[in-house]
Amino acid sequence: MSTIQELSIAVQRRFGRQRLRRIILGAIPFVTLAFLWYLNTANEWLPPVYIPPFASVWEAIFLLEEECMGFMDALTMGSGCMFTNHVFSSLGRVGLSLLIGLPLGIAFGVVAGMNRRIANALEPLGIFANSISGIAWLPLAIVWFGIGTATTIFILLNTIFWLVFFNTLLGVRSVPRVYENSVRTLGGSRWNVITQVYFPGALPSIVTGIRMSMGFGWRALIAAEMIGGDSGLGFMIFVSASEYKVEEVFLGVLVIALIWMFTDRTMLVPLEKWTIQRWGLVWRPS
Amino acid sequence: MQAKLVVQGLTHHYPDEYTGEDVHALDNVSLEVEDGIFAAVVGPSGCGKTTLLNILAGLLPYREGHVKVDGVDVHGPGPDRGVVFQEHAILPWRSVARNIGHGLEIQGVPADERQRKVAEFVELVGLGGFEDRYPHELSGGMKQRVSLARTLCSNPIVMLMDEPFAAVDAQTRITLQEELNRIAIATRKTILFITHNVDEAAFLGDKCFIFTRRPGKLKATVKINIPRDRRIWKDLINDSEFTNHRDEILTLVREEVSTLGDD
Repeated sequence: MSTIQELSIAVQRRFGRQRLRRIILGAIPFVTLAFLWYLNTANEWLPPVYIPPFASVWEAIFLLEEECMGFMDALTMGSGCMFTNHVFSSLGRVGLSLLIGLPLGIAFGVVAGMNRRIANALEPLGIFANSISGIAWLPLAIVWFGIGTATTIFILLNTIFWLVFFNTLLGVRSVPRVYENSVRTLGGSRWNVITQVYFPGALPSIVTGIRMSMGFGWRALIAAEMIGGDSGLGFMIFVSASEYKVEEVFLGVLVIALIWMFTDRTMLVPLEKWTIQRWGLVWRPS
Repeated sequence: MQAKLVVQGLTHHYPDEYTGEDVHALDNVSLEVEDGIFAAVVGPSGCGKTTLLNILAGLLPYREGHVKVDGVDVHGPGPDRGVVFQEHAILPWRSVARNIGHGLEIQGVPADERQRKVAEFVELVGLGGFEDRYPHELSGGMKQRVSLARTLCSNPIVMLMDEPFAAVDAQTRITLQEELNRIAIATRKTILFITHNVDEAAFLGDKCFIFTRRPGKLKATVKINIPRDRRIWKDLINDSEFTNHRDEILTLVREEVSTLGDD
């Protein structure tokens, strides 16, 4: 048996045949794009002012970080570390908004899911708010909060809160009433019912809500930073474009996508699978 | 000695969920279940059996009449009345052991004592080896065993059971009925068991309450004096004492069904 065959079998064993096939199929478009990019660089079909070579995109990181005093300086957001500062600034905003938005969205969602009246009162408002994309609030947010963190956080919160709220609400509603009744007949209080029935019962749906809100939130943030921000990846792209630094724009776009893919694949998808599979809560069309 | 569970003059109306029309579910129901007695409630569907159970469980508020457990008027749910529901009411996100110990957990019983109790009831209902499984890994019959153990584990004064074996297959049902009889002997619990299955009522009950069709009234009470340790299907199936009681109940129930007409 040839070495290549042995290697292929070893790789298939390690990842599993199905999964490997999925990974390879998913990678094909990326490889194709990368190859086209390489061909363009080699042949200069489109000049570097439109499509910069990969090398200069890579270099842009170091140019932006030129005055950075090393790792600690980057972590403490020293003024010289421009690239990492933009990354941390965006991530920090998402983190802060999640810290505020998730508990609020979940809390309101659980309460509304358990109480028809509160749901009836909040649902139209939620549909109203959801129909306006986060960005539409931006001009108003700039008037209210000015350019900077407050505006971007407002946009993010607006996106995160309503998505988590609605998904939690739907999740709570899907929990069979008999679970609540059984816990109450065991002597459970309202708080027991919330924490032991509705929250865990709605968890798969809540996780889906978190996943959606992070996806939409991340997009909204980038847009908000472009117009209403003073730092962050969106801001970086916008400023770079106005200065015709196309390689920085490319860098920004790639990093935005990579950060999202990484978070989604390594944290959110496994969390979603874990809650659903472990409890055997598979959504069936009913 | 006073009965463990006393219902006096219980009448209940509720508005229909869709039409809003007044539904007269229970009419002046009075019954008593003495300590350690297994009482079965039988009646045609829609006779208010489930309404009765929900009121006794405290899940449905009542205005007319009295419900007393150990001489105390009860309103709202409480751990003095344990309920085994018809549907699978155990929580899918809790393992078998954590479902069974749930009531004790709510009462704040320390973990080591809880574990001891849970182990005891896991054995009693024959679920040894399944403690760490999740409900979706269990069969319908096993889920109902978990449900039963969970209720027993909190040591209620009265156990209320709402057609707990209606959703399992016929073979499993027979096994579960015999097991329940064994558990009733072992725990000497006072039980109110709701069913529409006449065989089941006659097999398990010391006392059978037959209800009329809606509005549900107590039509008759049939006492069955077959000792608990003789209640095994193999022996009872041709036992004249059992078949006489069963036929008596069947006749009473069928009178109600036949007066329903064609609607």
